[in-house]
Amino acid sequence: MGSNTEAEGGMIGTVAKQEWRLLKADRTLAAVVVLMAAMVGYSLYNGSSWVAFQRQTLGAAETEQAERKGKLLKTLKGIEEGRIEVKGTQDPRSAASIGGNSSAPYLAMPPAPLATLAVGQSDLYPYYFKLNLRSKQAILANDEIENPTNLLAGRFDLAFVLVYLFPLVALALGYNLISSEREQGTLALAMSQPLTMREMVTGKIVLRGGLLLGLVVLFTFAGALLTGVDLGSSTVWLRLGLWVSLMALYTGFWFGLAVLVNSYQTSSATNALTLAGAWLGLVLVLPSVANLVATSMYPVPSRVEMVQAMRVAGKEAQSKGSMLLAKYMEDHPELMPAGEKPAADFTTLSYAVQMEVDKKVEPVLKRFDEQVEKQQAFVEGFKYLSPAILAQTAINDLAGTSLGRYQHFSRQVDGFFDAWKGYFLPKVFAKTKLGSGEVAGLPVYQFREETDGDILGRVGVVLAGMLVLSGAVLWVGYIRLRRVSIS
Amino acid sequence: MISQIAKKEMLEMRRDGRFQVASAIVLGLLLVSLGIGWQQYVSVNRQHEMARAETREQWLSQGKKNPHSAAHYGVYAFKPKSPLSLVDRGADQYTGVAVWLEAHKQNEFKYKPARDANTLARFGDLTASSVLQLLVPLLIILMSFSSFAGERESGTLRLLLSMGIAREKLALGKALGVAGGLGMLLVPAALIGSAALVLASDSGSFVANLPRLGWMTASYLLYFAAFVGISLTVSALAKSARLALVCLLGFWIFNGLAAPRLFSDVSRTVHRTPSSFAFSQRMDGELKKGFDGEALKKKVMAQYGVTSMEALPVNFLGISLKAGEDHGNEVYDKLYSELWDTFEAQNRLQQQGGVVAPLMAMRSVSMGLSGTDFAQFRDFSVAAEKYRRVLNDAMNDDLKNSPKTEGPYMADEKLWSKVPEFAYVMPEVNVVLGQQAWSLGLLVLWALGATGMAGWAATRRLRAE
Repeated sequence: MGSNTEAEGGMIGTVAKQEWRLLKADRTLAAVVVLMAAMVGYSLYNGSSWVAFQRQTLGAAETEQAERKGKLLKTLKGIEEGRIEVKGTQDPRSAASIGGNSSAPYLAMPPAPLATLAVGQSDLYPYYFKLNLRSKQAILANDEIENPTNLLAGRFDLAFVLVYLFPLVALALGYNLISSEREQGTLALAMSQPLTMREMVTGKIVLRGGLLLGLVVLFTFAGALLTGVDLGSSTVWLRLGLWVSLMALYTGFWFGLAVLVNSYQTSSATNALTLAGAWLGLVLVLPSVANLVATSMYPVPSRVEMVQAMRVAGKEAQSKGSMLLAKYMEDHPELMPAGEKPAADFTTLSYAVQMEVDKKVEPVLKRFDEQVEKQQAFVEGFKYLSPAILAQTAINDLAGTSLGRYQHFSRQVDGFFDAWKGYFLPKVFAKTKLGSGEVAGLPVYQFREETDGDILGRVGVVLAGMLVLSGAVLWVGYIRLRRVSIS
Repeated sequence: MISQIAKKEMLEMRRDGRFQVASAIVLGLLLVSLGIGWQQYVSVNRQHEMARAETREQWLSQGKKNPHSAAHYGVYAFKPKSPLSLVDRGADQYTGVAVWLEAHKQNEFKYKPARDANTLARFGDLTASSVLQLLVPLLIILMSFSSFAGERESGTLRLLLSMGIAREKLALGKALGVAGGLGMLLVPAALIGSAALVLASDSGSFVANLPRLGWMTASYLLYFAAFVGISLTVSALAKSARLALVCLLGFWIFNGLAAPRLFSDVSRTVHRTPSSFAFSQRMDGELKKGFDGEALKKKVMAQYGVTSMEALPVNFLGISLKAGEDHGNEVYDKLYSELWDTFEAQNRLQQQGGVVAPLMAMRSVSMGLSGTDFAQFRDFSVAAEKYRRVLNDAMNDDLKNSPKTEGPYMADEKLWSKVPEFAYVMPEVNVVLGQQAWSLGLLVLWALGATGMAGWAATRRLRAE
């Protein structure tokens, strides 16, 4: 038994060596190296310049925030020491002014360590919000400026190279695994050696697939180093490890498909056409058909409807603004400014109205979010149909540009926003004035990165799905190899 | 003779199972996408029509208010969907659908549909335009890559030429064969598409959209002609059918997948888009500069020939608000035109990418004629902003002429109804054609160049083996 596997391993090694010699002699190897280096290099450059853009923006926002807060503190100290006199209608000490503007922080989600790998959804969803005391809608509306035509095209990032183009290179290397030997008349010769069909095919795909995978991994690691990925942290290594496993399985899938198609003993040209068709179906057509099905089955209610609902709620609340404020004061008598009638000044009134609008709009927003979630949940099942969707999902997760991470961020923003309002709004209604000590001690937002467990959980499922797909294709292909005739 | 060759080509296609399956899939996808496009257009359009009526009603029935409060309440403008968006959704998913027109501020359009989409949406929309721009060219390649190369490999080319068939006729016959095969697929699709358009639009707008539809059909035909030409050229020149297929597939991938991304990257590098943060910082800075209130007072007093503000026959608040609006408008005009010019420069560069990838030209023409490109989004934005100014001016004018009594001044529906309803008309087809001149020119060049090349390759460079 032992000697048998040894011999088998030996034969596979011999085939691989022979393949290597052939590839080297051919121009194919050079072409693949140059092509992969160019595509990986360019896409990583692209990804890193987008990351640099985001970092620069966040840096500028941070500076602006610090300056704003510094100025506020100086003013407050000035007032406290009697150097500055408060004049005009705007009191810099008021809770509305401090919480809504002068000390309002930016809540930012910095690019994840491997963000250069995939632009993902990061060009669509905001990566920082400026807080205020108004509605959440006002905060969320903050998008990065981008030409819609560019958003439509997407970016030439590494994920695009890996998900779309990499399979084509794999298929170009694998479409004639057996058919070329047959067409050149070398198949019978090879099979007259102590070599089974499976050993020959294994030797070939191990070399060709391994070579391709090795090149991609090598170039990506080199690119990651050049673009300043911090290789010191363990989460980076975990993510890179998962990424390599993903790519290995993805490579396995496409070579498995090549084996399967070759097992039908058609000509190289037919194989090429069939494989190109499979690629088209799995990478381009299936995802968009799935999207179409999802959007038809779970249509998202129109935002236009939502705008109208908000407006109606706003109008109602506006018309009974002073009543709302009175009611609020009734509920919270402790907030009543000492020795005053319920204040009906513009600011306080507008916050009372705002709170009512938020309450009214909530069910509309909830219905909206639920429908989006339903659609997304439906789509989640679809991803197991196509290795391309699986790969894209996992790469986005590893790069930290997936919808999942944006939702993770959004939940943190929600929490901080509620805490912020919870701190300031009662002070707005009570007309409390804040001092420099309180402002200096305001909570500071810090983005909590997703844990390795979160990533592992999401990507692990995808890897399992990919393992099943690749395994199934390879398995069927290898079973069929037994029936392949030599002539 | 030519018709015989064409017939033989079509017969072969019909007998080839692969071609049949591929055509059936493409036709199926085309019909499904047209159907879904139609349904989406109808539902979105109905919502927008309703919302438009509602926002007007809300404006009219807002009750007694100070005109400036009314201006703050404002109205919403909803971007209408063009009927031809059922063919090409273009950038519609990536532009906001609604904008709030209020006092003091030119707001951004909000609610990009793409942000509410599921994660698969970024793999690309299945619309009629994506089928026409990506899959039909692939089908053309499939139909024609072996036209010459295949016959040469099987030895029939030598036979044909030895029979004394003129090479011109052979080339023309082959081209017509491909065109015929394509026609079997596209004519029914075009008929169904037109029927969908008729259903989607009322009679008036259908007629109004006919020129757009006509130009669109013509430009797609040019695009297809270019692909037929390219495929036949490569098939005539390539040593083997396999090599022809590899070259053509390579070109298809470059054209359909890589080029849009590459050119969008390049255009972004050449014409830099500012960050939203930098843009709004600049905007705030410019707006803060404000206008000189004291100078305005002096000017107004001089204008009315009075020496004190109390003696003014008009309400200064209206004048000062109007001056504020004017200052703001100047800033908005300057900054937004700069930004939008940047986008248009980027898009122009992408159109020019049509020199190497015909898709870039085709995509631009198709979006333009569908009314779903950036230029027409901008056109709508500008119209909405103009309306905002009309509304604000009406409010401030009324305020200016309001009595200077104690206590708040209230206006009512009489004033609200003086502001006309916002009505938007899409630009004429000529405007679009002007914007798309580059792309249309490139498509014509591609079609002529590629068919010319095919003719040359088939007559001068065709080897029997």
